Amino acid sequence: MAAQTTSFVIDLPERASRGLWRDALGRLTRNRPAMLGLAFIALFVFTAVFAPLIAPFDPAVGNIAASKQPPSWQHLMGTDLLGRDEFSRVVYGARVSLVVGVVAVFFGLVVGISLGALAGGMGGRVDTVLMRVTDVLLAVPGILLAIGIVAWLGQGQVQIMLAVGIAYAPMFARLLRGSLLGLKEADFATAARSEGATPTRILLRHLMPNALTPLIVAATLAMATAIIDVAGLGFLGLGPGDPRVAEWGEMLTDSARFLQSAPYLILFPGIAIVVSAIGFNLLGDGLRESIDPRLKR
Amino acid sequence: MLLSVRDLTVRFRTHDGTVHAVNGVSLDVDEGETIGLVGESGCGKSVTNLAIMRLLPEPAGFIERGEVAFDGLDLTKLDEASMRDLRGRDIAMIFQDPMTSLNPVLTIEEQMVETIQAHRPVTKADARKRAIELLGMVGIAEAAARLRNFPHQFSGGMRQRVMIAMALALEPKLLIADEPTTALDVTIQAQVLELLQRLTHEQATAVILITHDLGVVAGMTSRINVMYAGFVVEAATTADLFATPRHPYTVGLLHSIPRLDAAADEPLIPIEGVPPDLRRQPVGCQFAPRCAWRIDRCWTEIPPLEPYLPLAPGEAVRTTGPAATHRIACWNRPTAEEAAAGSPLDPDFVPAPPPASQAAVRPASATASGSASR
Repeated sequence: MAAQTTSFVIDLPERASRGLWRDALGRLTRNRPAMLGLAFIALFVFTAVFAPLIAPFDPAVGNIAASKQPPSWQHLMGTDLLGRDEFSRVVYGARVSLVVGVVAVFFGLVVGISLGALAGGMGGRVDTVLMRVTDVLLAVPGILLAIGIVAWLGQGQVQIMLAVGIAYAPMFARLLRGSLLGLKEADFATAARSEGATPTRILLRHLMPNALTPLIVAATLAMATAIIDVAGLGFLGLGPGDPRVAEWGEMLTDSARFLQSAPYLILFPGIAIVVSAIGFNLLGDGLRESIDPRLKR
Repeated sequence: MLLSVRDLTVRFRTHDGTVHAVNGVSLDVDEGETIGLVGESGCGKSVTNLAIMRLLPEPAGFIERGEVAFDGLDLTKLDEASMRDLRGRDIAMIFQDPMTSLNPVLTIEEQMVETIQAHRPVTKADARKRAIELLGMVGIAEAAARLRNFPHQFSGGMRQRVMIAMALALEPKLLIADEPTTALDVTIQAQVLELLQRLTHEQATAVILITHDLGVVAGMTSRINVMYAGFVVEAATTADLFATPRHPYTVGLLHSIPRLDAAADEPLIPIEGVPPDLRRQPVGCQFAPRCAWRIDRCWTEIPPLEPYLPLAPGEAVRTTGPAATHRIACWNRPTAEEAAAGSPLDPDFVPAPPPASQAAVRPASATASGSASR
C-alpha cells in the first residue's frame, strides 16, 4: 500500500524552467530596451578597452594651429581649443568613466554590503547606530557629498572613485538591510534555524544570496548615476585634475565657453555621457524586471 | 517520557501591549508516540512548539515561565549552542508551507547536505549519498538527478516530501509537524500523511502534529490536546476524544463539521463569536463568551485541566500512552447527552452574563465584533 501511494508520481510536461538564473536570463534577452542598453554598454566598454586602437590621434597632444576645427574626415568630431582631436578624447574619456565608475560602484558595494549585512544580520543596537549613520549620509545629496570628499582629499582619479563610491554606500546598505530584515522572517530562515544552522551560516548562506538580487539591479543603475556624477565632478572642476587626461565632464567645461562658435565640442562628450548612462539605466530596469518575474508586464 | 512541557507560558511584547499567546500549557509525549495539537488559528499551538524549539521571534516573543523537559534536559535553560546542536538532530520540524520553507536560491542537495553536515562529521560525498537515500525513502524518483534541482522545480507535494526527508535525515527523537498538509491539496495530503506516518513509525520518532483539521489528527494520532486561546482545554486519547468529547469547545468543533454518518437533516451547529483578544490577561475560562454552558464561575476563575471521570482510589492521572486519562478544563461540564446534542438540555438553563467588571467582554450572542487575535 505504502509503495503504491508513494510511487504515484504525476509527470507534468516538463516546463521550460531550467533554474532561477537561466529563466531570468531568458526574460532579459527578450527585453528589447534592456538589450539596447546592453548594446550601448558593449559599445562603451569596447571603446574604453580598445581606446588606443580606435583613437586616430594622441588625446593629450594637440596642434595649436588647428584649434577649434569643425568636424571633418580627418577629425570626425573636430578639434578642441588646443587643437586636440575631439574624437580621440571622447574615446579615451570612456576609459576614465568606465574605470572610475566601476571602481566607485564596486567600492560603494563593498562598504554598503558590509554595513548592511552587519546591521541586518546583528540587529539591535548595531543596527540602530549604523542606520542612523546612513540616515545622516543619505540626507546629504550624493553629488554634494562627493564634492565635499574631493574638496577634502584633493583632486585625482582615486579620490573621485572614493567620493562617488562612498556616496552610494548608504543606499546599498539600506537596501541590503531591508531585504535581510524581510528574509529573516521568511519560513526558510526559520526552517534553517530549526535544522540547527548557526546565525552566521544562516546570514551568509541563506539570507545573503537571496538579498543580493536587488543589489545587482541597484548597482547597475548606480553605474549610470556614477558616470553622470563623475562627469558632474569634472564639469565642476573637481575632475582628475590632470589636463592631459580626457574626462567627459571636464571636456564639457572646457568647451562651454565656445558653445556658440564650436557647439560640436559640447555635443559629442554630452552624447557619450548620455549614451553610456542610458545604457546602464536600460539594462538595470531590464534586470529588475527579469529577476523579479512579478514585475513582468 | 521523551518530552514533558509544564506550565509553559509564552508572551509577546507588541506595540499594542502584551499578547498572552500561551497560558500555562502542559503536555507530555512518550517515545515514538504521535500526538495531535488541535485548535483554530491563533490558539497558540504553533507558538507552543516554537517555544519548545526556542525559535520564538526575538525579541518580541519570550517564555515567561514553565519547563520543557526533553530527554532529561530543560530546554528553557539550555545554552544557545547546545540548543542549536539539538535542533535538527534530536528535534526536527516540518513547516506548513513547503513553497516558502526551502531556500529558493540553493539546490536541494546543498540544503540537505548542509543539514546533515551540521550535525554529523561526514564528508560531502557521504552526506550526498545519505540525501539520495532519503529522497528515495520519501518517494522521489531519480533522486540523484533531482538533488541538483532548485525548490521551484518541485511541486508543492514534492517539496513537502523533501522537507520530510530533511527533517528525518538525522533520525530525530521528536518531529514537530506544524500543519504539514494544510498547503497541499487533498489527494496529496493523504499521500504525505501516509508517508509521514510510515517513516516516523519505522524510525520510532515521536510526532507532535499541529493542525486545525480534525480529520487529519483522527487518522494519524493516538492522543489529542485541544487548545483554545493559549490553554489546553481537553486532552484525551484520539478514540475518547472523538467518541466522547466533553469540553464545550471540542463539542462545538465536532458539531460544526459535517459527518458522513449523520442523519441528512441533522443541523451543523456553528460556534458563535470570535476568539478572545489575547492582549487581555485571562481571568476566567477563555471560552466563556462563546460557551452555551457558561456559569458565573467561568467568568472569574480559570478552570484547571482535570480528569473528566473521578479517578479510582490509588489511580494516578496518566498523561501519555493508550490509556491516558481523559481530562478537560471546564467548570460546568456538559453531560454525555448534552455533548451528543451539542447544546445544554436543561430548558431552564441560561448562560451566565458577564460580571460587571467584564462588561467589555460581551458574550457571543450580543456581538460578533471584537478584535481578531494574533
